[in-house]
Amino acid sequence: MKWAKSWYLSDVILLALIGIFFGAIFMGTNYVYDVLTAALSPIGLGGLANELLLGLWCMPGMLAGYMLRLKGSATLGELLAATVEMFFGGQWGIATLISGIVQGFGAELGYIVTRYKHYDWLGLTASAATTTIVTFGWDLARNGYYKLQLWLLILYFVVRFISMFVFGGLLTRLITDMLDRSHVLKSSHSN
Amino acid sequence: MNPSIKLLLLFIIALEISFTTIISLNIALVILATLYLLWRRTSLKTLGWLLIVPLLPAIGLWSTQYINGTGDNAQMAWVLFTRIYAFVFTGATFTLTTDILELADALEQNWHLPAKFAYGVLAAYNLVPKIQHEVKVIRMAGLMRGQTLSFWSPKLYFKAILVSINWSQNLAQAMQSHGFVEDAPRTHYRHVPLRASDWSILVIGIGLLQIGAFAIPWR
Amino acid sequence: MATITLNNLTYTYPEASVPVLDHVNLTLPAHQFTLLTGPSGTGKSTLLRLMTGLIKLPADHGQITYDDQDLATLAATDRAGQVALMFQNPNQQFAMDTVQNELVFALENRQVDPQVMTNRINEALDFVGIRDLQDRQINHLSGGEKQKVALAVIVAMNSDVILLDEPFASVDPAARASLLRRLIKLRDDAGKTIILADHDLTDYETLVDQVVQINADRSLSSLPKPQWPHFFAAFSAQAASDHHWPLPKNAPNALFDLQQVQLQQGSFVLLQPTDLQFLDHRNTLITGPNGSGKSTLFEALVRLNPYTGQINYHGDNIQKLKAKRYARQIALLFQDAETQFLNITVAEELAQSQKYAYGDYFTTDRIQQALTQLNLAGRDEQVIYTLSEGQKKKLQILSMLIMQSPVLLMDEPLKGLDLKSVDALVTLLKTTQAATQQTLIIISHQLTGLTSLIDYHLRFDQHQLQYQEVAP
Repeated sequence: MKWAKSWYLSDVILLALIGIFFGAIFMGTNYVYDVLTAALSPIGLGGLANELLLGLWCMPGMLAGYMLRLKGSATLGELLAATVEMFFGGQWGIATLISGIVQGFGAELGYIVTRYKHYDWLGLTASAATTTIVTFGWDLARNGYYKLQLWLLILYFVVRFISMFVFGGLLTRLITDMLDRSHVLKSSHSN
Repeated sequence: MNPSIKLLLLFIIALEISFTTIISLNIALVILATLYLLWRRTSLKTLGWLLIVPLLPAIGLWSTQYINGTGDNAQMAWVLFTRIYAFVFTGATFTLTTDILELADALEQNWHLPAKFAYGVLAAYNLVPKIQHEVKVIRMAGLMRGQTLSFWSPKLYFKAILVSINWSQNLAQAMQSHGFVEDAPRTHYRHVPLRASDWSILVIGIGLLQIGAFAIPWR
Repeated sequence: MATITLNNLTYTYPEASVPVLDHVNLTLPAHQFTLLTGPSGTGKSTLLRLMTGLIKLPADHGQITYDDQDLATLAATDRAGQVALMFQNPNQQFAMDTVQNELVFALENRQVDPQVMTNRINEALDFVGIRDLQDRQINHLSGGEKQKVALAVIVAMNSDVILLDEPFASVDPAARASLLRRLIKLRDDAGKTIILADHDLTDYETLVDQVVQINADRSLSSLPKPQWPHFFAAFSAQAASDHHWPLPKNAPNALFDLQQVQLQQGSFVLLQPTDLQFLDHRNTLITGPNGSGKSTLFEALVRLNPYTGQINYHGDNIQKLKAKRYARQIALLFQDAETQFLNITVAEELAQSQKYAYGDYFTTDRIQQALTQLNLAGRDEQVIYTLSEGQKKKLQILSMLIMQSPVLLMDEPLKGLDLKSVDALVTLLKTTQAATQQTLIIISHQLTGLTSLIDYHLRFDQHQLQYQEVAP
């Protein structure tokens, strides 16, 4: 329970709120997913929509890790977002929770391998890479990717990494730069 | 049934069927889940909704495997198609019959999850309608200044985080003012029992799943 | 039962250079009702949060004692039994979904025996008179109902000292009167100590035992009783206005045409079905008590809130207009300035408005001139979020004026501004309007300085919205 003590109530609420806010924003991207999946399914590339947008759904974890700079914040950020989404979004049920844990751990791993010291491009890129690897490993089984032809696997992997890097890395960096410039972050972890 | 045990059982089921490739097991799970949902008086409309929502992703996975898979394409395509439905229907037996407060109570009382996690998430969860409204407000503030804020605009997230920081501090203070102290003991008005029957259901459920996965010679 | 003593209290915000409270000394006797007054943004909220222990007082910055116990040495678990705070914003005050669950949550925190909880909850609900709200979703309650729930929580927790931070800001008059009656009862029958911060002084003169003012030098002083009549009379005089406005005649092509429009907050009806017109190129003032639904009306006009009935803009149903185009026609000045901002520095905020402005009246020179008028010049590179509340408000208004949208809805534009700023602002509004022909619809409690700008007056009260010739 020592780990739990370094978390304040306001941090927990903050991560959960960010997760819900982001979820509410992502709901607006469902049409992109639907259109792409419908268009690409006839040529057997239906999974591409998921690969393109997955970075968005992994953003709360990567951003939480980068923003709060606490051990476990990436995992917790993604897990809280997934928990709320499980009850709120509803239809994906437990699968949401499992994805949340996998994605959160993937994001966390990037900060672990950079020893929670690189809150810069290195840390973000590492996190994007580990999130890609861990979630892809999971999808080899869960989505049956291990049965796919090699060229498609490589295509999916590359697209997924690009999505992780663009949303989880680039966008996260742009957002946190704005937060830094506005001087609101330090005061959020002082009470 | 104890919500945490129910969650654990469903979690194990979801994990295990992620690694098995038995179409009939997936279908059996969908049928069992449907029966349970009907017994819990889930409306037919909701069940219909559960059928429609995963259709597009399921087709996406199916066609990917069918067209670009290796080995027995068709078999794997249908495994993935039915697996998605198994996820959704078993998951629904939890989300449609258990509310977040019951789960939070169980995790706090039976598993000693620190109350700040349980109630921190609950407090945020209860703001969901306000949050949806606030996203509209942020977008409107952008439009009124000539700027469309899309899901790729950093400003949209920046504003959302500013609001989150603000609200999280307000909520934390309000909860403290209502007597909440981090890591302090609390009493419990709603008692969540963890009975032997809960454990039995868990063990039997896992046992049946293994029989379904390994003993019955279906595919 | 606690007498509270503030001893040489000094507090400075982490980012600020000047203290918000400077060497405050004060005694607040037990069993008394104290009114804490002072303009917005003078540190009332901060003081109450310090007294509740929600903000920690740094060492050597003075002392807060309850009887002779230093608040800093009081165990956190005993604090809520000693003192509880009711917040201004009723929306971020509860952790749980229903009224019952929130009360349970509070009592569990206080480690009350579950056996006696049901009784204590029922008693608290009965005391406040909201037993019928017990199983309702808090999200579906009106502002007044939410604050009643907040009071019930405090009653159930049985805190000795009750602090209230502008608790009536979104509470309708009936609920306010009801809440005030309960507070008096808590003082007289249960011996509670009550400290209430408010800048609206209506009704307090005969109710309170002490009036404490925040002074310009950031200290506190108790107002001697002989000065009360003058003090309260000055406030009433300021609130009243004998200005007369004509009633509008129905026009064929109104700006807004409301047909059987009804507004609700959850199941609470704010506005009964109403037919009404707003006229183009005329400035309309909307007044009405707190919680009557004025802001909700604005949110309906910009399609942020649902309503029943139909609203037409220049003859077109606003629900059928393209969101992007409609937002360029009708702009809303939000009550909370930060909601409006999209950027980080003052210069960026102004540049955004200038870039997307509807017309070209606001040249760089005119903007500089306006900044000087509003005493905001030379702050180009300052981060918006470090501005004072008054500066934020002025920047917000200027940013929205620069846009020159044909219609600007202003929700409490004068809130938190001193008289000098109000004058500068109204002057700016007038010169701008003469050139741009913009239509203003303004919600305001404060009329001083504003009346000369107004053509028509709408009163929103008791679920009715009607044109009136005089302000209340």
